[in-house]
Parts: sequence; structure tokens; C-alpha cells
Amino acid sequence: MSAHRSTRAPALTGLLLLATLVAGCGGYEATRVPAPPAASGTPTTQTTPPPECGEATRSYAPTGALPAPTALPSGSTMAQIRERGRLIAGVSADTYLMASRNPFNGQIEGFDIDFVKQVARAIFGSDDPRFIQLRVITAADRIPLLQSQVVDIVVRNMTINCTRWEDIAFSAEYYRSGQKLMVRQDLADAGVDSVAELADVRVCAPSGTSSLENITRLAPAAVVVPAGSHTGCLVKFQQGDVDAITGDDTVLAGLAAQDPYAVVPEQETFTDEPYGIGVNAADVDLVRFVNSILERMRTDGSWRASYQQWLQPTLGQGTGQPQPIYGRTP
Amino acid sequence: MSQAQASSPAPVPRPTTIPAPAGVATPATRAQAGAGLAGRPTGTVEDVPRLLNRWQAIAVVTCIAFGVLAALFQLLAWQATGRAADNTEQLVRVQEIQSSLFRADALATNAFLIGGLEPADQRAEYDAALDQVLRQITDAAQAQPADRDALAALNAAVSAYATTNTQARDNNRQGFPVGAEYLKSASAVLRTDAVRVLQSLVRANTERADTELDGQNTLPLFLTGAVAVALLWWVNRQMARRFRRRFNQGLAAAVLMIVVITLFGTFFSAQRSGDNGDLRNGDFAVALDEASARTAANDAKANESLRLIARGSGDVYESAWTTAADAVDGAASPQTLPLWQAYVARHEEVVSLDEAGSWDAAVAEATTTGAEGSSQALDAFDVASQEVIDDAAFLTTDNLRSGAFTALVLIAVTLLVGLVAAGAATWGIAQRRKEYA
Repeated sequence: MSAHRSTRAPALTGLLLLATLVAGCGGYEATRVPAPPAASGTPTTQTTPPPECGEATRSYAPTGALPAPTALPSGSTMAQIRERGRLIAGVSADTYLMASRNPFNGQIEGFDIDFVKQVARAIFGSDDPRFIQLRVITAADRIPLLQSQVVDIVVRNMTINCTRWEDIAFSAEYYRSGQKLMVRQDLADAGVDSVAELADVRVCAPSGTSSLENITRLAPAAVVVPAGSHTGCLVKFQQGDVDAITGDDTVLAGLAAQDPYAVVPEQETFTDEPYGIGVNAADVDLVRFVNSILERMRTDGSWRASYQQWLQPTLGQGTGQPQPIYGRTP
Repeated sequence: MSQAQASSPAPVPRPTTIPAPAGVATPATRAQAGAGLAGRPTGTVEDVPRLLNRWQAIAVVTCIAFGVLAALFQLLAWQATGRAADNTEQLVRVQEIQSSLFRADALATNAFLIGGLEPADQRAEYDAALDQVLRQITDAAQAQPADRDALAALNAAVSAYATTNTQARDNNRQGFPVGAEYLKSASAVLRTDAVRVLQSLVRANTERADTELDGQNTLPLFLTGAVAVALLWWVNRQMARRFRRRFNQGLAAAVLMIVVITLFGTFFSAQRSGDNGDLRNGDFAVALDEASARTAANDAKANESLRLIARGSGDVYESAWTTAADAVDGAASPQTLPLWQAYVARHEEVVSLDEAGSWDAAVAEATTTGAEGSSQALDAFDVASQEVIDDAAFLTTDNLRSGAFTALVLIAVTLLVGLVAAGAATWGIAQRRKEYA
């Protein structure tokens, strides 16, 4: 029997080992950790020289005095807006001082918004919120939404230039801004205060804007980083993803006011940015109407009052309301 | 079973010497046995004691192997059921992490709409939701080591989400518009980084739970019994050829025991397997579907707020709302679907007001905690949905964990049967050895 035991013992031991091994199985393969999505590379911006169109700020002349809201020309764009019951304006909601949402009351307010109110007042006789639908849009949306007539006007620190005249129409210039740089305090201390100093500096500008085109053209050695808006640039700036932001001085003033470590160094503007109110290219009557409103704002002091309220505290006295240039024909 | 004499065929006549009693090999016949017992060709030499030893070894190993393997399959099935319960709990935990995160996001975005002075109870609920998320991540990491790397990544994403949300709130309280941008960034972190990891966790734990629910080993258990019976039958047949006994009592007893325990074990395993299938399509599915519905519902509410924050350019958020709403419609249980539909009606009023240019009224309807607002309707759905998830998850794991006593007794009895069957086979073969001696 000992011989039998010796043949049975290894078999049983093997069986028990197998059982132990199999019973011990229960570990799982580690759960896959998804790789982060590949970061999209910096988009290359085609920088083509803007087409020539003479004086880009030349607009359609007003036709006489501003009509009363109740006497708007029949069939005009203004009459259609009045019939609809509200003016639809494309604006920004995150451009501090120009047009931003006040978190305390939820209302969008700023220098640009005052122009929307003026247009509403001219059409409805009142700037009551029920006559105004503010549609918050990105810079890249400005022209498409005007072309598709989703909005009646765009008042969103929009620069008048010949390229845009090919797609839409503009009012006369209502503010003369200029592109500048905002940088981190330590970079400013190190002397980075102009486009000539931007080699290898990461500069942010909103996609679809002339600011992005300008910085790409004027500072080819800079690392240009696009964002959805200037506020998006500020988030990147505060998170250390970019070192500088470029944009109009009005916008940069608003950004710097939100971050104590951001400065707009003393510098010459490296572009001229004449702001105009954007209108659908076919609505020439509305452009003339808006230009009449701008004239009225000059004479009744409302332009100055608005500037004093929003921009003067950070931009100083300024040069006042720009003189309009008329003579454009449809 | 009696050790009955075989009625046929008649013992093969020995070629020489005195005829031996039927079925008994006397010493005098050993030489002939060496030359061959019943039915063996006379030209070959057969060592019967050695054959008996070999058959005994085969029978004993078969019985013990059956006991060990059958018990092992039952043990594995019992462990699989336990692991299925663990994986189900983990899956529900992961789904709840997702639901809680989206709940937090719905609260944060809604509070943002109200402005800097958000309601204290809403803020407290946001904090509680995030605390719950962090606790659940820790619990999940302890419960399933294989999920730890993914949960670490999720923890990083939640941390980034919470930090970005805090920056949004801080800026909002100071009146800085950059707060809205941080809020959008936080939502993007949640919907990309966090959700990608959560989806991976859901996938992995669903697969694990499914695999374990299928791990009842019914067929292997049955086959083990069948093979054991076949081997014992073969041993019995070999012995029957050499002795005038059709059945060996010991072997017959072993076969009987193995057949009974195999049939009982197979029945129990098949029943458990059927129960698991019912659970998978019943409470388990309800828990998972409702958790998905709760996540999607809070996602929808967050998108409603983001739409209003975007103020007029919120088409992308309305599209996201529609996608989330479709997900709720497809996953919500009959108990919660009416509550969801009540919220949908409120949301449509919000959209209608916003599209008509009454943004202020739309915001008021989206943020009020009164019965006329969309928030209360969503809250009602959220509470009911959580109850459905908790109940269904409890029923699932409770059901899976039940029957442990029966399973363990069955395992012990199976092992015992293997040993007793081995003893019976040994005894039965020993009887033949005695006869031969």
C-alpha cells in the first residue's frame, strides 16, 4: 500500500495546488486611465494684408434729423424692429468697462451698452429692458450673425476696416482705440513693454479678431496663443499658460482691473482701432439712422457722460468722440 | 444494491484444475490468474492484486478529485457571486460619483446666475455634493485596487474642477467678469477630463460585474460529476469482467453519492445563475439606468444655467440640454419620469421667456426655489431618483450576498462526499481483494 500512497500523494497535492491557484484568482486588470485629448496645436493664422478701400471709417451720411420713434419711415429697418417689439444687439458680456455682466444684478453694462440703449431709445422712445434683447456673442460671431440677420446691430468693440466692409456695414467711428500689450508685472519690470520685445513670449489674443492678425504680423517671433475671448485670455494668463495679452487699450484696461499682477506698460498703440457699430450690409437706412444717433450724442453730451462713467477713470480724458467721416455710397 | 451474482454470462471455464467457486479466485488458481482470469486471453499474464490496487487508486483519486474539483467550482461560483456584488457596489458608487459631480455643477452654475450673494443652503448643498464625491472616490479606491489609477486621475480632475469653480465664485463675488470664464472652464473640465475617466470606470466595472454574474460554473460542475461517474463505472466494469459480480457495492455507493451531489449542486448553480440573470435585467439595470438618468438630469440643469449665463449665445448649451434630456427620457424609471417631465415643462418656460427677450424673467424662473421655478422641479426629480438608485442597488447586492450559507454548506458536503465516496470505493474493492485472497 505504501507504493499506492506514493503515487496518490503527488496527484492529490497537485490537485490541491491547482485548486488553491484557481481559487486564488480574482485580481482584475487595472482600469484604463484615458489619455488626455491631444492638445490642438497653435493654429496658424493667415496674415494677408487688408484690402484697400480708401478711408475705412467713411460711413453713410445721416438723412436729416433723427425722426421721432412714432414717425419712423414706413418699411424701414427701424420700423421693422419697432414692429417686432425689441432691438436685438450682439454684445460682449465679459469686456469689463465696455460690456460686462454685473454679477450683483445680472445686467450687462458698460460703454458699448450705452450705445445700444441710445438706439433703443431712438426706435422705441425708451431704453426699457423689454425693448432690448442683448445677445452675448463672441468676437468670431460678430460678422456671421449680422450677415444672417440674427442680430440687428453689433456693438462689441468692433474695429472698422476694409476687410469687414466687404461683409457688413459700419456706423461712423464712435471711439478711437488702439492695440496695446498687457504683460505680467515681472515681465514689465524686465523691460517687455512693446512688440519688439516679444520674441518667445506667449501672447494671447481672441481668435477671429484683428488683434490676433496684428500681433501675428507685427511680432512674428512671438508665440501667439488664441482663446475664445479676451476673458479667456485672462484665464490663461492667470493660470500661467500665457505671459501677455494683446488687445485694444479699452479691453486691456478692463482686464488689468481684474488682476493686480497684470500691467499695461506705458507704450504707444501699435495700431489704430476705430470702433464702429456693425450693421447688416443691406441695412443702409439703419446705418444712417445710427449715425444720426451718434450726432445727437455728441450734441446732447451723452457720449461724454458715458465715457466719463466707464472709461475716463482708467483711460483718462481721452480725445473725445471722433469726428465722423461721411460720403460712402451704397 | 446487493452484491448480486451475475446471471450471465457464465464464468469462463478454467482450462485446468478443480473448478473454483463462482467469482472466487483461489490460491490454486493464481497461476492461471497469472495466465488470465475470466475472459482474458490465456497468452497474457495478469497480476490481479496489482490490478485491484490500480483500480482502487483510480477510484479513490476519481472520488477525491471530484470532491475537490466540484467543491472548487462551487467555491469559485460563490466567490464570483461575492465579487459580482462587490463590482455592482463599485459600479453604483462610480455612477453616484458622476451624479454627485453633475449635481454639484448644476448647483454651482445656478448659484452663479444669482450673483455674488448665492443662497447659503445652495452653497452648502454644493459643498456637501463635492464632499460626497471625494469620500466616494476614497471608498472606491479602497474597494477595488484595479480602479486606483483611474480614481487618482479622477481625483485630479475633480480637484481641478473644484479649484476652477472656486476661482469662478471668488471672481464673481468681486464683480469680475472673468468669473464666468472660470465657470465655463470648470464645466469643461467636468465634461471632458472627469467624464472620460468616469466612463472608463463604468465600462471596466460593468464588464467585471457581468463576468462575475456569469461565473456560476454550472456546466463544469455537471461535467466533473459526469466524468467521475464514468470513471467509476469503468472501474466497476473492469472488475465485473474479472469477478462474477456485475456491481461492486462500494463503487455503486460512491457513484450514487456523486450523482446525487452533482445533481443537487448543478440545480443550485443553475438556479443561482438564473437569479443573477434576473438581477442583471432587474434591480441591477434599474440602479444603473436611474443613476445615468440622474447624471443626465443634473447635466441638463447645468446646461440650462449655462445657456442663460451665455445670454443669447447659448445654442450650444441648449443642444447639450437636449442630448441630456434624451438620455433621461431613455433611462429614468417609471417612478421618476413624471417628475422629470414636470421639470421639462418648467425648462420650456425658461427657454420661451429667454427666446422672447425676457432674459430677466427666464433667470428668475430658472433660479427661484419656489414651486414655479425649474430648480424645485429638478430637485424633486433628483431626490426621487436617488431613492430609486439606493433601493435598487441595495436589493441587487442583498440578493447577490444571500444564499452564502447554502453555498458554503454545499461546498463542505461536496468535499465530504468526495472523501466518503473514496472510502466506499476502497471498501468495495477491498471486498474483492479479500475474495481473491
